Formats: sequence, structure tokens, C-alpha cells
Amino acid sequence: MESKNNWKAWLYLAPVLILMAIFTFYPLINTFVISFLKDFDYRSGANSGFTFDNYGLVLGLVEKVPGIPESKITEFVQYALPNTFIITFITVPISILLSLFIAIGINSVKWCKKFLQTIFFMPYVTNIIAVGMVFAVIFGDYGIFNNLFGITGTKWVTESASWGNSMIVLCAYIIWCALPYKILIFSSGLQNIDKQYYDAAKIDGSPKWKTTLKITIPLLSPQILYIMITSFIGAFKEYNAVIGLFNRNYTASGNVHDLTTVVYYIYSQLEGNNPHMQIAAAGAVILFAIIMVFTVIQMRVSKKRVHY
Amino acid sequence: MEIKLKDLTKVFPGDKKKGRKDTIAVDDLDVDIKDGELIGLLGPSGCGKSTTLYMVAGLLEPTSGEIWFGDEEVTHLAPEKRGIGLVFQNYALYPHMTVYKNISFPLTNLRVEENIKDEKCVKYAKIIELLKDTKTIVKVIVGSNIDGKVNKSSAVNALCEKYHIASGVSLEIFKLGLAQAENPEELAKVKTTEYQTKLDEEIKKVERKGKKLDKEYYVLSKDQNSDVFKKTLKRRKLSKDEIDAFVREAARIVQISDYLDRKPNELSGGQQQRVAIARALVKKPKVLLLDEPLSNLDARLRIQTREEIRRIQQATHITTIFVTHDQEEAMSICDDIVVMKTGAEMQKDKPQDVYKDPKNLFVAKFLGTPPINVFEGEIKKNAIYVGEDKILTSDKKLKDGPVYVGIRPEGFLVTTDKKATAGEITLDVKEVLTMGRDLMLVCANKNFLGERIKLIVDSDVNAKVGKTEFKLRGNKVFIFDKKTEERIYF
Amino acid sequence: MKPAIISTKLNLIIPGKENNVKNTEKRDKFWRIFGMVIMYILLAIAAIIVLLPFYYMIIASFMSEAELKLGNTFWPTQGNFFENIVYNYSETLSRFDYFRYVGNTLLVGVCTTVGQVFITVISAFAFAKLKFKGRDALFMIFLATMMIPGEMMVITNFTTMSNLGMISINSNAWQSYGAMILPFLTSVFYIYLLRENFKQVPNELYLAAKVDGKSDWNYLWKVMVPLSMPTLITIFILGLIGSWNAYVWPKLVVSNQKYWLVSVALRGQALQLEERPDTYVTQTSWVMASTVLVTLPLLILFIIFRKYIMRGVGRAGIKG
Repeated sequence: MESKNNWKAWLYLAPVLILMAIFTFYPLINTFVISFLKDFDYRSGANSGFTFDNYGLVLGLVEKVPGIPESKITEFVQYALPNTFIITFITVPISILLSLFIAIGINSVKWCKKFLQTIFFMPYVTNIIAVGMVFAVIFGDYGIFNNLFGITGTKWVTESASWGNSMIVLCAYIIWCALPYKILIFSSGLQNIDKQYYDAAKIDGSPKWKTTLKITIPLLSPQILYIMITSFIGAFKEYNAVIGLFNRNYTASGNVHDLTTVVYYIYSQLEGNNPHMQIAAAGAVILFAIIMVFTVIQMRVSKKRVHY
Repeated sequence: MEIKLKDLTKVFPGDKKKGRKDTIAVDDLDVDIKDGELIGLLGPSGCGKSTTLYMVAGLLEPTSGEIWFGDEEVTHLAPEKRGIGLVFQNYALYPHMTVYKNISFPLTNLRVEENIKDEKCVKYAKIIELLKDTKTIVKVIVGSNIDGKVNKSSAVNALCEKYHIASGVSLEIFKLGLAQAENPEELAKVKTTEYQTKLDEEIKKVERKGKKLDKEYYVLSKDQNSDVFKKTLKRRKLSKDEIDAFVREAARIVQISDYLDRKPNELSGGQQQRVAIARALVKKPKVLLLDEPLSNLDARLRIQTREEIRRIQQATHITTIFVTHDQEEAMSICDDIVVMKTGAEMQKDKPQDVYKDPKNLFVAKFLGTPPINVFEGEIKKNAIYVGEDKILTSDKKLKDGPVYVGIRPEGFLVTTDKKATAGEITLDVKEVLTMGRDLMLVCANKNFLGERIKLIVDSDVNAKVGKTEFKLRGNKVFIFDKKTEERIYF
Repeated sequence: MKPAIISTKLNLIIPGKENNVKNTEKRDKFWRIFGMVIMYILLAIAAIIVLLPFYYMIIASFMSEAELKLGNTFWPTQGNFFENIVYNYSETLSRFDYFRYVGNTLLVGVCTTVGQVFITVISAFAFAKLKFKGRDALFMIFLATMMIPGEMMVITNFTTMSNLGMISINSNAWQSYGAMILPFLTSVFYIYLLRENFKQVPNELYLAAKVDGKSDWNYLWKVMVPLSMPTLITIFILGLIGSWNAYVWPKLVVSNQKYWLVSVALRGQALQLEERPDTYVTQTSWVMASTVLVTLPLLILFIIFRKYIMRGVGRAGIKG
């Protein structure tokens, strides 16, 4: 009976395999290959051969027009990469801590648990772009944020706003969007912790804060690790929030794209009538590499602290 | 610590919408437990014994009634403030901590209250005292050598174990280099003088601050209003060495010392059990509570572990409450048994008395393997009848009426036996089973309430299938009122 | 000062317990209630912050443009309440081809999801119940692809679609919808979810069906699928939500405004009023109205299907 199933199973898997081959496996390899091609024309597939120049261009090491040093494009290294790192290293820790606190808080109160969980989950089902536009109005020049705190005149998200102000609002928005998923995961993890451990801790004389720190959180460590890895990746790939809030990637303080993120950079290479596939590809591969490196680091570091 | 439960009641509210009634889990329980006793709460599932235990622990709030520990009423006191140790049925060991950390966890939440000593003086004095015994010190250090070489941490550990000193003091002694010296005795003498000087300086320092030291180096300070020098009380956390000492002591008692570095999931059920006991005992509680601790163990381990529990309890004299549904367990180790049924106490007595002298039908049926045989009978003119057979005559005056007659399996004798003291009963023997030491006779009788009557007789008895007359041992026959199921004494 | 001599005969004290039990009880109770109150207050504040954008979105769409500029905060006070609403929404709808975009999105969403469900069902079945060489290895590879950022695939997929002639300013319905649906018919995450579900169906049922002579296909659709209905509903709803909120890919492949999806339209559509001759100013209140129109359907869907959504998303946290 076992071998009979053998070939039929492949029939069942045929659709998935075909689609994955076309839209996942082939693109993976192809993108990798394209990133090393010179003068790639995506319509005809023609190219002028193997080169590291695309990477060089992205990283600002190579001149775009040979012989002219000013043609070095530093947008990626000067703006996209730092912005993305700032976003990631600010929003990920804050959102994890906040969501942990809220999840533990919801778990510790007696009434309205389901109600609270529902409220905090709402941002997840909404359109990031739509709500981004609302945030833009709230923080707009005449928005209620300025009104509430009496700081009329501060520009947060409009074109004439400073880079710092815009980044602050961007980070705040990203945290707002990132909370619901984390709260949900932590909440379900918390519910899976056997109540007996809390009873044992009570008998052992442990005050509530100590129990939370030494018992609840270690028991939640698998979820915390999962959230750390996925939020890092998610924050690094942030794009929709920028579109929603600003619909552009620059402030008016310069001609440069100082609000761009890595992914924004990649997609901007695809716009227009003559998209630069190979540069976008190089950018994508670099993105992939960075994510992999950090994921591996996180998994290494966590080996000792995560308990299953 | 004496425990008194007064009219303890726990009602779980029902759900009017779903038509569920209130559940009375514990009903007016009134129990007195003497200090140092090991008492068992015995009963079938759902009789309220675990509920009672959790109320004593403080994890459940009683609906009404009082719980007293000694002369303090602790009914509403938080569990962490009651000074109890609890061993859960599923052990509830923290899975992410090693055994050592599990056991030491309760200690991190306690404080020590003692009179302040000048620790430097204590240290110097101790070193001076130890240096007199140079030979032993050298022997201990050399004995702790690993691969023939002197090893600092093992030497320090060995000195700590031997002299019950803190690791700081051990380290200082180790650093004196007695083991490596050519003439340890000489070196010791020199060091002794050094330390003596240090000691004297320290004492002078204290006196300059206006305080005095007594013989044991307790710091005496003067009260503002009087001229009397008194010791001062201080509270502090336990030091790492002290926690270590407590943990190792508890581990020694339960014999788990070799597993201190393991995590709970690397231990067997029996070992986890012992860790749970150690964790409960390490804080020297006044009361120890065990919730069906043996139900997750296999048969052989169960017997072994219950002996352990008895041994530990005897050694530490902690008042212990032990919840179980296994009557053999309760009978073998408890000083007193409380038999419970649907929240109420059915009888509280020594194990032998609960067996030999049951107060009601439930207790009689619950204890004893194989269970007691219950027949329909009646009292007529001060004699007890089961059907046609006259079982017993009573010395007391009894009211006529229908009763339950319970006869223990070992209460039947084959007729030729001269020891028979009471009446007779005729049973139809269906099977004779050999049990090694005894014979079990499976019989039938039309007045029997239940499937089959089981008797135990000595294996030498000549028993055969068929209608047989049995004589009865009077002390194995019990009569219970048909309506109240209470024991009728005769 | 740490003690020099170790004794296990120390007097251990429970901190916080005074000699008078009643006092201890009262103090404990006080701190317990105090802690609860603080927690509720903090949670309430957090909840309000989370809900604020939604509230404001709706309120802003009720206000007139002038009032918005004044930065009035929480309730429109100027003008006629109902007149404003009607005006804002009618103007918005006349400029923002809402129903067309919704229609597009629903079409794409339903087609994608139905396709997804079908493929997920048969794939999960293969991985869960059928035995074949390399099953586990293949599944591992699938799982590994979840770690790869979508950006790696987007570029090539764009090329592929373009070479198939599906991306152009004059693409027709089939091409536009097809471009948006095809690449997303497979989802490893859903296959993983459903496989877990399938694995929990006892194998005895499968063997019994075999003994009865039923084919695998029959067994799959008549037994496994009904048993896994909750998960399938979750997948369906999550898929719909995903389509509704999709922006990047639809924007990339569909430049023909006729076939825009809601998110793309939201950002792409100018909602402007000719305030002065030849001066077009974006009407914020209309923009807010459009965001309400885009957000509200999902919120309603969420409230109805809350259980399925939250359970499905939460499942991911149990994997490790």
C-alpha cells in the first residue's frame, strides 16, 4: 500500500510544485543571477556579462558614469540602510516590550479579557496605508496632535518637516501597527502556561513581580524568540508604512531621499519606463543577506536562554 | 504547629443560566490536628479532600469557617504568608530551572532575622581557631586534589563542607598556602599571630564607635535612654553560601544530591517527586501539605516513596497533611486518617481503628481489600438475621428492623474450625481461587447486595465448591442502620 | 556583611508578615486592589491610544474641510452634522470609484482565496496523509522558503509577468486580474496550518475508508475537509484580508486604473477640490472618508469572524 501512494502523491502536489517553481524557486535563483549581470534588459533578457558593478553601485563603491566621481550613488548606504537600521532597532525593542507588558497585563486582570484582546488586535486587520494616511492627518500641520499638546506649528509629516520629526512619527506608527500581532502571540503563549506554576510560586513566597520576571517570561521564551526574529525581519522590510504616512521618501530639507528604506529603495528602482532590474536585484540580495545574518545571530544568542 | 479546621465549608456557585446547581465541595468540616502528626485525608474522587488541602494552603478561599495555625487564624491569609510547603500532584517543578534553582527558589523570598555580629571578628576568630588544627586542614585540601594537583574550587568546597564556613573564609584559608608550605605548623603559628593582631584591631575599631562586643562577637549598642548594652536585631537576605547549605541539606534528606544540576525533564518521575518534596521542605515550613503525591508513580516506587515520606516526616516532625484516594497508602503511613465523602468527614481515627471500628457503612466499604461484604439483614428480638441464618445475638437491647450487615472477608471460618464465636451463615461457594498465602472463595447468597461475595481463608483450609456453612468472627461483623447507614453497636 | 559561619538553624522570616495576622491580611488586600486598579487604568490608556486613529478617521470624515483646518479635536461642532456627512461622502464617492475598486478587490480576493484553498487542501493532504519518498525533506524546503523576503521574488515575477504580456497600460481584464492572482495561489503558511489540522485526524478513519474501497480523493473531500472546516474558514478570511490590504504587487503590475485594487486606489486617487480657479487642493475630509470606506468593511468582517481570525493568526505562535 505504501508504494502505491507514491506516484499519486505527486499528482496532488503538482499544482503547488508548478506554481512554486515558477513563482518562488525560479525567481530566487533568477534574482540572484540578475544581480550579477551588466546592462540587463528585462524584456529581452539580453545582458553584457558578469559583473560585481551592481553591488558596487548599490553600496556606493562604483561610479555610475565611469570617470565621474560625483555620479556615485550613495542613496542606499547613506540613507536607506541607516534609516532602516534606525527603524528596526527602535521599533523592535519598544514594540516587544510594550506588547509583552500589555499581554501580561491583559492576562492578569479578571474581567474583560476577551474584550481587551479584541480591541488591541484591531490594527492588524486594517490597511496599513489607509491608517497611515490618518496618522498623517493627526500629525499634520493642523492636526489634533499639535492641538492637544499646544505645540502648534511643529511640523511632523509634511514635506517641510525635519527628518528627525518625520522619523519619530514613522517609528511611532510602525510600533502601533506591530503591537497587535505580538500581543496576540504573547497572549496565547501566556494562556498555555500551566496555572500550577503560579500556585507553586505563590507557595514559594514569590511576590508578583518576581513571579512575572523569573517564571512567566522564561516560560514565554519560545514565543519571545519567535517574535524577535519575525519582528526584526518585518521591521527591516518596512515599506507600506512609509507609503501610507508620506507617499514619498524625502523631506524637503534636501534633494536627497532621506526617508527611504531598503525596500523602498528596491521598489524605486523598478519604477518608470526603464527599471533597473539588476540594481533592484542586488539590493534584494543584500537585504536577504542582512536578514539571514541577524537571524542566525539571534538564534545563536538565544540558545542558552530559550526553554522549551 | 497545630492545625484546627472549624466548620470549614466551600461552595462552588452554580450557573443559573445553565441550570447548574451550587456544588458543596466541603461541608462543615471540623478537624483538629496535633503538632507533628502525619494525617491522611482519604476518600474517593470528588469528596473534597483536595479542596480542603488547597484551602489550608490558601490557594482557595473558604466560603465559611475558620482555619487556625496554632493560635493564629489564617483563614484569609495569603498563601505565601502562611509558612507552608506544598507538594503538587504533578510536582509543578519549574521546567526552565535546574533542580538546584528549583529548590533554592523559596529561599530567595525569605529573610533571616538575627542579632548583628561583627563578621570580621567572627571570621578572624574562626580562622585562628581552625589554624590550631593545621594537620586536618592540610589533609582536607590535599584530599580534594584533582589529578594529584591542588584545585582551588574543590579545596574551597571541601573546606566549606567540613567546617560549615562560608566560601569567603575557605578561600582565605586556602590562600594561606598551608598545603604547599614546607612546614605547615610553623606557617600556621605565624599566621595565627597575624590574625590575632587583626582581631584585636577590629575589636578596638568597634569600641571606638561606642559599641561593645560580647564573647560571641555580637554587637552591643547602647539604647538612647538607658545605660544597658543590648544586641540589635537585623533582617537580611540569605547569603549565597547559606542558600547553598539549606539546599544541600534538603537534597540530602530526600537523597537527590547527585542530580542538583539537572533540569526536571531529565529526571524520572520518582526523582521529580523527591525534588518537589525538597522544595517544600527547604524553607523549614511549619506545615507540609501533599496532594496525592504518589498517584503518578508506578506500584513499586509508590511503596518506596511513601516510606520515604514517612521517614522524612518522622525526622523533621513537621505537621503533615497527606491527601490520597488509596486506602493502603493512608493506612500504612498516617498517624490518623480522616475519611471523607462528598465534603463531609465520615470518621477520624487511627488507621487500625478506622478499619476495625468503622462508624458508618461508607467507611466500612472504603477500607479493606477485598472490600467488606454487605448483606441485607434484619434485627429480630435482639438477634441479627441474614435471610434465614441467625448471625449474631446482641448483648444490648436493639430495636427491631431492617439493617445492613457487613462482614469482612477474613471474618468467615469454615465450620469445623473451633474458633468460631458467633452464629453461622450459609453461602454458595462458586469458585475457589488460590492466592498463594490465602484462598479466596467467591460465593453467592440471595441477600447479598452486589455481585459476588469474596472471602479470604487460610490456604490450609479445605474448601470446596457448593453450599457451605461458615461460622463468623464476631469482631468482623458490623451492623448499620438501613436509613442512616450509621453503625449500630451491639 | 556576609556571615562567615554557615548554619542552617537560622531563624527564617517571611517578609511582609507581621505578627498581627489581620493587619497583614488588610495590607495584602489593599495592595492587591491597588495593583488591579492601576493595571486597568494603564490598559485603558493603551486601548484608547490604539483606538484613537479609528475614531479620528471616522470623525474627520464627518467634518467640513474648514473645520478640519482648525484642528478641532473630537467632535464636529460646526455646520450641520448630517449635511456634512452627506456632502463629504457623496463628493468622495463621485471622485473615488469605490464600488469598482471594491469589486476588483473582491474578485481578485475571492479568486485568489478559492484557488489557495483548493491548492492548500490537496497539498496539505499529500504532506499529511500520503506517504512518498522525500516527503519530509520537501516540506522542510517549503518551510525554508517562508524565511525568504518577498522582495527576492518580486523582481523576477515582474519580469515573468511582463514577458507573458500581462503588464501593460492597455492590459485587459484577464491579464490584469491574472497578474494579481497567479503568483499568490500558493501559500506555504496555509499549507503548514492545514497539515497540522489534517494530522490530527486519526489515521483509523483513513484506513477505514480504504477498507471500504473509497478513493483518496473521495476521502479527502468528504471526510477531511468537513472536519477541518474551522481552519479552512480561517484561511479563507485571512486570504481575503490579505487581498484587501495588498498594495505593492497590484501597484506594480496593474497600471490600468480600471483594474486598481482599493489600497492602490487610495494612494493613487487624488481627491481634490477646485477651491480657486485652477487651484486644486486635496480635501483632507474626503481623504478621510475614503479611508473609512476602505477600512470599515474589514473591521466589520473582523467583528463577525473574530474567533477565526484570531485563532488562525495565533496558531503561528505555537510553532517554534
